[in-house]
Amino acid sequence: MVNGEAHALDVPPTRRLLSVLRDDLALLGAKHGCGEGACGACAVLLDGKPVVSCLLPVGAAEGRTVTTIEGLDEAAAALQEAFVAEDALQCGFCTPGQIVSASALIASDPTPTREAIRVAMAGNICRCGAYPKIERAILRASGQAVG
Amino acid sequence: MRPRLVKSQREMEGRFEDVWVLVDEDDDLETWAEGAELDVVGKPATRDDGLLRTSGAARYTVDIALPGMLHAQVLRAPVARCRVTGLDLEAARATPGVRAVLGPDGPFTMRGDAVLTAEPGWAGAPIAAVAADTPEAAAAGIAALSPELEALAPLELEAGLEEQRFTEEPRETVRGDPDGALDGAEVKVELTCETPAHVQTPLEPHAAVARWDGDSLTAWVSTQGMFDARRELAGRFGLGNEQVRVISEYIGGGFGAKQGAGVEALLAAELARAAGRPVHLALGRHEEQLVGGRRAWTRQTVTIGARRDGTLVGIEVAAVVAMGAAGWIFPVGEPALSLYACPNVRAMIFPVKTSLRAQNAFRAPGVVEGVTVLEQAMDELALALEMDPLELRRTNHIELDQGSGLPYSSKRLLACYDRAAELAGWAERDGLREASSDRLLRGMGCATQIWWGGGGPPAHATVRLDAQARALVTTGIQDIGTGTLTSARIVAAEELGLPLDRVVARGGDTAPNLYGPVAGGSMTTPAVMPAVRSAAGSVRRTLLSLAADVLEIAAADLTISGGRIRSRDGGLDVDVIEVTGKLGNATIDGSGARGPNPEGFRVNTFGCQIAQVAVDPGTGVVTVERVVAVHDVGRIVNPLAASSQAEGGVIQGIGYALCEELLTDPTTGIPVNGHLDDYKVPTIADVPEIVVDFVDVPDANLPNLGSKGLGEPPIVPTAAAIANAFAHATGRRAGALPLTPARVLEALA
Repeated sequence: MVNGEAHALDVPPTRRLLSVLRDDLALLGAKHGCGEGACGACAVLLDGKPVVSCLLPVGAAEGRTVTTIEGLDEAAAALQEAFVAEDALQCGFCTPGQIVSASALIASDPTPTREAIRVAMAGNICRCGAYPKIERAILRASGQAVG
Repeated sequence: MRPRLVKSQREMEGRFEDVWVLVDEDDDLETWAEGAELDVVGKPATRDDGLLRTSGAARYTVDIALPGMLHAQVLRAPVARCRVTGLDLEAARATPGVRAVLGPDGPFTMRGDAVLTAEPGWAGAPIAAVAADTPEAAAAGIAALSPELEALAPLELEAGLEEQRFTEEPRETVRGDPDGALDGAEVKVELTCETPAHVQTPLEPHAAVARWDGDSLTAWVSTQGMFDARRELAGRFGLGNEQVRVISEYIGGGFGAKQGAGVEALLAAELARAAGRPVHLALGRHEEQLVGGRRAWTRQTVTIGARRDGTLVGIEVAAVVAMGAAGWIFPVGEPALSLYACPNVRAMIFPVKTSLRAQNAFRAPGVVEGVTVLEQAMDELALALEMDPLELRRTNHIELDQGSGLPYSSKRLLACYDRAAELAGWAERDGLREASSDRLLRGMGCATQIWWGGGGPPAHATVRLDAQARALVTTGIQDIGTGTLTSARIVAAEELGLPLDRVVARGGDTAPNLYGPVAGGSMTTPAVMPAVRSAAGSVRRTLLSLAADVLEIAAADLTISGGRIRSRDGGLDVDVIEVTGKLGNATIDGSGARGPNPEGFRVNTFGCQIAQVAVDPGTGVVTVERVVAVHDVGRIVNPLAASSQAEGGVIQGIGYALCEELLTDPTTGIPVNGHLDDYKVPTIADVPEIVVDFVDVPDANLPNLGSKGLGEPPIVPTAAAIANAFAHATGRRAGALPLTPARVLEALA
């Protein structure tokens, strides 16, 4: 299941989920930032938990629910708006991954503290350095005072 | 428009050249004055492409997928230097799915250097390239090449210095009598510090997609310079400019690394021509870290002499720069020559040839390196003089550029010092050390920023206003993440007197043939925005003239603001659509060009940053607790995006100071940490509170906006401020950056 739609794919189970999402399903929001699980630009949700899809063999996603940036729910729309309002992006290449990770955080912790945000988001690299505003955007999207 | 050609001077990262500039005699826009009441400029605005970027809908070069598109990979030198003695091109061509193979046999050059080479001089140098139906088939084709290599010893830095093995003649710039001044100085300090090889690490790697349609080439390139890319591709393939279209709409970071067409676009286009199909070429992460570029490693020795009252009498800097194979020598000596008043200066640069890729631009190239060491030496001098470090800097303030003897067009550095000191609590800095009770040593340090950033011609723009009173701004901007297209909307909306939501701006495509400069040298805002305002001004003049026809009031008696046309006597107040609505399918079109810079001035940006750190003497971990960044870049167009730029620069500076360092195995010459899990860039957990402020006063000598560039200034002083805070906290200097735990423990031992 990808974004609520069932896909039957005849692909080698060792292919990486990111490659199948991008090349076979044309879901281009998740990015190939490093292919090493070190930057978080490829983050998607697997049964609601964030994973680095560049490392995950697609076979491991069989029978499970994959959600990409394109398939996030309304809570994520609030995140997207908050990211724009707080200018929590520059080049934007890492942003889909940031929002996927942030949506998982808010799903498990609806009002995360600054410290919880910094822990949960530490796996998502933003080379432009939008971090201070990413923190603000997540506070804003979770209805907290930004300060 | 009444066009004229005039002679002017253009500056790019400290290099000056004379150019002819097309100017419009009708363009008489005055710079918006300090305190002018503006509706849109200077008000925070969000990016209009923000939702495209946050929703994953924005298409970067790596996302381009075309029918029949092939995937390319590159065979690279696995060692630092070698000779290719065997390469099985035929086996690669015979690999299933492979459609084109390029080897080092053809006359394939970029700026005179071979793109593919049989004699690689650095780890990762491209030897051959393959395009195939799938990435897997391309990898199989690369494997089939089975290169036979004769490995050669890498060029080592210290031996290179000993043997005087330079990429070009060492540079020496001398002013006055530095030897005499330093010999006779009442107080003298000397400091040596190594600065690390610093990798730009854009999250979107270098990438290009090329498609031929007959004799025309379309190239999607992840580049900061699409017009340079067009020129290089046209030159390479013998095409006219109109036959090459370069599209760089969304760019996943560059930071200086992505210039022109790059090897990637040249290879993609060559492979696409050979295969007769579109070709996609994107570097993998390890390739990017290895061959994408870097700020060069340096070792600098700075000697400063001063009088007892703090007045500088002489500075000498000797900088050894590990250039790699080649490259432009960046202005490492510039801070010594211009940051402070000093009549006697010698700046020497020794550009040693080594076996890494040629160094290239990384955000304020050269000046970051120079400021990082000079500013530490200034703090050592303050210590020797028992003088407040900020006071020492104020004492040596200067209002003119000492190299040219010209005054700065504007310089509000003293205001930066005052504001930064206030925001940081500088007056209580020594109290920080006394409060270091929880096993942490705290300290605070400052550093001064200088950079160019005045921009200049040429840059062009058009504005088209339609019947619905909506304006389209077209520019040659590549928005690498700075939000400059939003700035273009802001400037046009202000000049047109329209609300921001009635203006859209486009860039990222050479097809309209509206030249814009490379997104580098902090020049997009100061170069392009005056052209945008000029184009909008032309449309406004026409609109007022048409309004005079419709409303039967003289144009001179009408004003436009907030989307309404009003008569100066207050008797008339109508929506702009009252006039534009009568255009039907016609539009009002205006074009604008960046005018020349004022003669008799140097245009520079200035600033001051103050960092507060906590050092754990047990673990050697340095934590940056707070950074205050105050910069003078003239008028701020969009304070929201400007603060983002400043924060981003500071964060990259924190990486340079604390964790980023490309390490090379001296025996093989191969970088050993070319991945994101071992080349450490800052994460959200590493980032302190960053307080940003701007002087925000327009530079009255700049046309026609008074704004300078902001891309580079914020990274310039950060590492120096952190190193000075470390020294304030611990009383020690590490002798090399970054301040890793190992270096810190050694320094504290």
